[in-house]
Amino acid sequence: MAQKEFSVVGKATPRIDGFERVTGKAEYTGDVQLPGMLYARVLRSPHPHAKIVSIDTSKAEKLPGVKAIVHSFNTQVQWASGGLTQKRMIFNNPVRYVGDAVAAVAATDRYIAEDALELIEVKYEKLPYVLDAAAALKPDAPKIYPKGNLSVGDGRVTAPIKEEWGDLEKGFKEADKVFEDTYISKHVNNAQMERRVSVAKWDGAKLTVYASTQGISNARGDIAKALDLPLSRVRVVCKYMGAGFGNKNQAQDYDMMAAVLAKSAGQPVKLEFTREDDFIGMHGRWASEQHYKVGVKKDGTITAVELNAITNMGAYRKQSGDLTGCDFYNIPNYKKVVSPTHTNTVVAANYRAPAYPQSVYGIASMLDQIAFDLGINPYDMFLKNRSRLAKGKNQYSSNAMEACIVEGAKKIGWQEKWHPAGASKGVKRHGIGMALGGYPFRLGLGAATIRLNPDATAHVIVGVVDIGTGAKSTMAIIASEALGIPLDQIQLASGDTDVTPYSIGESSSRTTSFTGTAVIAAAEDVRKQIFAVAAPELKAKPEELDLKDGIVFLKADPAKKLPLVKAIRRVESEIIGRATTNPTWPEGIDGKAFAAHFCEVEVDSLTGQVRLTRYVAAHDCGTIINRLTATSQVKGGVVQGIGMAFTEELLIDRPTAVPINPNYRDAKVPTHLEVPEIEVIFVDSYDPYGPFGGKVVGEPPITPSVATIANAIFNATGKRFKELPITPDKILRAVQV
Amino acid sequence: MKSFENIDPKSVKEAVGLLQKFSKEKKDAAVVGGGSEYLQLMKVRVATPDYIVNLKTIPGLSYIKEEGGGFRIGALTTLSELEEHKGVQEKLLILSQAAGEAASPQIRNAGTVAGNLCQRPFCWYFRSASHVCLRKGGEVCYSVAGDSRYHAILGAGPSYIVHPSDLAPALVALDAKIKVAGPAGEKTIPLEKFFVTPQVNVRRENILGPADIVTEIQVPLPKAGSKGFYYKVRERQAWDHAIVSVATVVQSAGGAARDARVVLGGVAPVPWRVPKAEEFLRGKAIDDAAAQKAAEIALDGVRPMKDNVYKVDLAKNLIRRALLASV
Amino acid sequence: MEEKKGKGVSRRDFLRRVGAGSVGAAVISKGFLDAPATEAYPTEAVQSPKGRSVVSLKVNGKPYRVEVQHRQTLAEVLRDELGLTGTRIGCDRGECGACTVVIDGRNMYSCSQLAVWMNGKDILTIEGLAKGDKLDPIQQAFIEHDGPQCGFCTSGQIMSGKALLMRNPNPTEAQARRALSGNLCRCGNYNREVEAVMAAAKAR
Repeated sequence: MAQKEFSVVGKATPRIDGFERVTGKAEYTGDVQLPGMLYARVLRSPHPHAKIVSIDTSKAEKLPGVKAIVHSFNTQVQWASGGLTQKRMIFNNPVRYVGDAVAAVAATDRYIAEDALELIEVKYEKLPYVLDAAAALKPDAPKIYPKGNLSVGDGRVTAPIKEEWGDLEKGFKEADKVFEDTYISKHVNNAQMERRVSVAKWDGAKLTVYASTQGISNARGDIAKALDLPLSRVRVVCKYMGAGFGNKNQAQDYDMMAAVLAKSAGQPVKLEFTREDDFIGMHGRWASEQHYKVGVKKDGTITAVELNAITNMGAYRKQSGDLTGCDFYNIPNYKKVVSPTHTNTVVAANYRAPAYPQSVYGIASMLDQIAFDLGINPYDMFLKNRSRLAKGKNQYSSNAMEACIVEGAKKIGWQEKWHPAGASKGVKRHGIGMALGGYPFRLGLGAATIRLNPDATAHVIVGVVDIGTGAKSTMAIIASEALGIPLDQIQLASGDTDVTPYSIGESSSRTTSFTGTAVIAAAEDVRKQIFAVAAPELKAKPEELDLKDGIVFLKADPAKKLPLVKAIRRVESEIIGRATTNPTWPEGIDGKAFAAHFCEVEVDSLTGQVRLTRYVAAHDCGTIINRLTATSQVKGGVVQGIGMAFTEELLIDRPTAVPINPNYRDAKVPTHLEVPEIEVIFVDSYDPYGPFGGKVVGEPPITPSVATIANAIFNATGKRFKELPITPDKILRAVQV
Repeated sequence: MKSFENIDPKSVKEAVGLLQKFSKEKKDAAVVGGGSEYLQLMKVRVATPDYIVNLKTIPGLSYIKEEGGGFRIGALTTLSELEEHKGVQEKLLILSQAAGEAASPQIRNAGTVAGNLCQRPFCWYFRSASHVCLRKGGEVCYSVAGDSRYHAILGAGPSYIVHPSDLAPALVALDAKIKVAGPAGEKTIPLEKFFVTPQVNVRRENILGPADIVTEIQVPLPKAGSKGFYYKVRERQAWDHAIVSVATVVQSAGGAARDARVVLGGVAPVPWRVPKAEEFLRGKAIDDAAAQKAAEIALDGVRPMKDNVYKVDLAKNLIRRALLASV
Repeated sequence: MEEKKGKGVSRRDFLRRVGAGSVGAAVISKGFLDAPATEAYPTEAVQSPKGRSVVSLKVNGKPYRVEVQHRQTLAEVLRDELGLTGTRIGCDRGECGACTVVIDGRNMYSCSQLAVWMNGKDILTIEGLAKGDKLDPIQQAFIEHDGPQCGFCTSGQIMSGKALLMRNPNPTEAQARRALSGNLCRCGNYNREVEAVMAAAKAR
């Protein structure tokens, strides 16, 4: 792969805002204090499905310190973010799940706001409800929407989700054997460390929202639309936020509630979610029931895959509900039908690679099981069936999946350690497993402005919000490399829609690609202007000049050079470069990042407990912009996979429809002690369509992790676990037989 | 949290007096040691006391003294202090281990021995303000029709909580005693008698009255030739309660048990001692077969619920493992 | 001594933040915002003596006196009354560790301590680690080893690490992991946090 000698790209660079993060100086939304600020809390429905007959706030209003109360009878504001399917308001009537927001109160302190919630009297008329997705699709199920419970797009998206290529029938005819099985995954909450919070302030007709959001540009758009304001009158600010993993993108109901309360009270309002609010009032990964039919040749080569699945979207549909794990496997004949379904439960939306880890768990378990049944080493099975074409037809812009498999297997010692499943006997049983994953590498709209100061320092202005990925640092590094100026001379400005240009929003692993591409183009714009003023200084033509590490020099004779500050000495104010870029894929080409994960486990057959003893993650991400933060991203994705594989599940009490574990302890989010040293390999790779050859890093790591662990547990016990999470009781039941 | 008044008594007598007064006035008052556990109940408004009687301001309740053939541990000794005490590690290792298994380092630094023994259940229905269950004065134990995966398989009904303490099984296995101060003065009782099953009282986990305070735990030294073993099976290795735990203290000589204590955690509303299994072990060589039989006897009469059948085999496996490790 | 009125009074203090670059400086200016008459509390709600006290806190070596409600946790008082927002609240349930501070040498969840219990306690927060502009070795190590991703759990991880190194300057990796085991990190940066604590131990 072509790799230049980079000055800063590819190195391990500490975050440019590391100082703020380790000193506590970073200002998160919850730290914002404004004069006269009120505190707000949300009242939620205790019923899974009910008509609100009346809301009596008179007692609450009388509580000293209460300044404003909003609810569905006095506030009709649409919650439009995600932009999908049905109309969802910030307060809905009927309420459609336990936890659906009913009212919000703003008061002079948070304890009074909490006290006031108890004084609001709501009369409900209970309606029949359904909790189970399969049951919700039956003809006699209670209807959550007039058109029924299959989530139908408002004419924009047809349901169910269908995708096919090749000839499925022919594919199954060509198979030597056909296997069928069902895999079940559960609703898992994003559970990011920062609880949701929003601070809204009106200055006359202008609204400022300090939001904990992944996308200030789209949050601004949502708020402006919901409140019928011009874009210029809405300002969204987010300097630091405590992660979201996909469900803090755009504006959410609490942003609008804070804005409306602030308008009503005439004072700024900080609306805070409790941790319970965060678990049930927001979104998690959609649960799924996946039925696979896989046709293979004797040697394990896939001939056809058919997937029929139901995904549980909860009471409202915000995102796709799709299942796309088959992307990483070579499937010549394919048909998928996914039915996103409404139930009266907590809503599902985006959580890191929303459509992937649960479906990679499905297909990779199928292939691992088939390998076992055919007597094939899973390494050979996965290597042979790795994806070569996107959707069965498009070329990949770059594909180093093979290197991921080979190098990762070598690192963990696959050939030495592997044994057939169930071969390990004794109380503590050893297992080793693997799976393939990755994530789409997309091209799209980005914008950037760069201001070069006369002293040769520069401001890079982008609408990026750093959700923990290190995006701020990545943009600064890209700017530094693209400009040819040392990193410590770059100052990044981000996170304020009054100042920074458009950004897609940090989601779907697009920031490096979309905004990074724009930064490079803006840097080119600056360089053109630099060379124009520097040319006479160096007695050369502009096109003969280059700039690297802060030195402007003649390409043909590098000894003829000037430090940048001297080269631009005639610039009095600054050089401004700007770019909006929106590249698209040429016909027949698609982008993906790829990954192969491997792990070893030790299963205690007497207790059902599993110890993860080794984990190797091999990734093809193209050029790595910042080796330090990229490695952390991979480790982080794996840890989330550990939680999803072993312990995490939102539990809804069936008789009362109430979520019974909306807290960190009962949700069993992984701790330090669940996690071994995660060994990360970035294989040599370069993608011509990405900034400096880079693709994506953020979401690929979680995608194969659950399957990798599940396959290792199968290898250790000889028992296949077809339902997540794989808890000790399930293992005990299986091995104790 | 609902508004309340925090009171800092300066002596046990004063604290008991206050609690009596509040009880007479029908005021809701709670006793708090470290406070970590009780505060969370208050934050979700499952507990809404008018008064908090904060025992931390009473001097002389935090100590670990070795005297008279055993240890005396003040009620306000923290779990970290207990875990780290050299004498306890040397002579009551099982107790140090059990203390170290509780919750997380931060909780162990604030949490007290008495608080750990007196903590309320972590049953998700009990801790949910949406479910007014039997234990909170309601009509129903929600685990019966609901999700019972972490609930009791022994000694339960009409409530099916499990006692969440790690110290309790270890202390019962060590024949500990507990000293309680109340309006009628002080009394010391075997720790085993401190806990009550739902049959006896569905609203409380122990015998404490509204004006009673735990002041001390007394632990005799185990007999010579004793080995203690505490094992906690948990889904997460930090800050998680036992799905099943076992504490055993076996006094053996030449591979045969002279005396044994076997106490299970995570299976019953009280730390569950299994005297029949202990009786069986006396005088027997502890081998695979004996350990297996002891485990069977221990779980005899078990009544699993619809989601916790796995606890039966798990408990048996743990007892076997503990006994085999004791010789 | 800094004197601060508690919340819920008809005048409000607000804390003006100092400019960036001043590390650990607890310069707090007080101002009173005269609220319009409509905001004034009815007398009986304000004057109620029950459930309020003045507490003396020693935070990062500095004494403070502040009026608090009994139901205010230490975390809330640090953040809202003293302007020390470096201590984060992740769950407010004593389950995640984001609010970890060091009290009398031990790491504890500040969300699970009432402010009124803190009289006479020696409290160390993230703001108290650096000496002027010089970072504590553990903070430096967190930067170099990429300890923070989103950064929200970082203060708590560092304080647990600091408490460990104060008692055990030369921990093993297992001891370091256990010392931090009460601190959740949903970004999954556990390897890095332990690596940073071990590096900080070596740096001393």
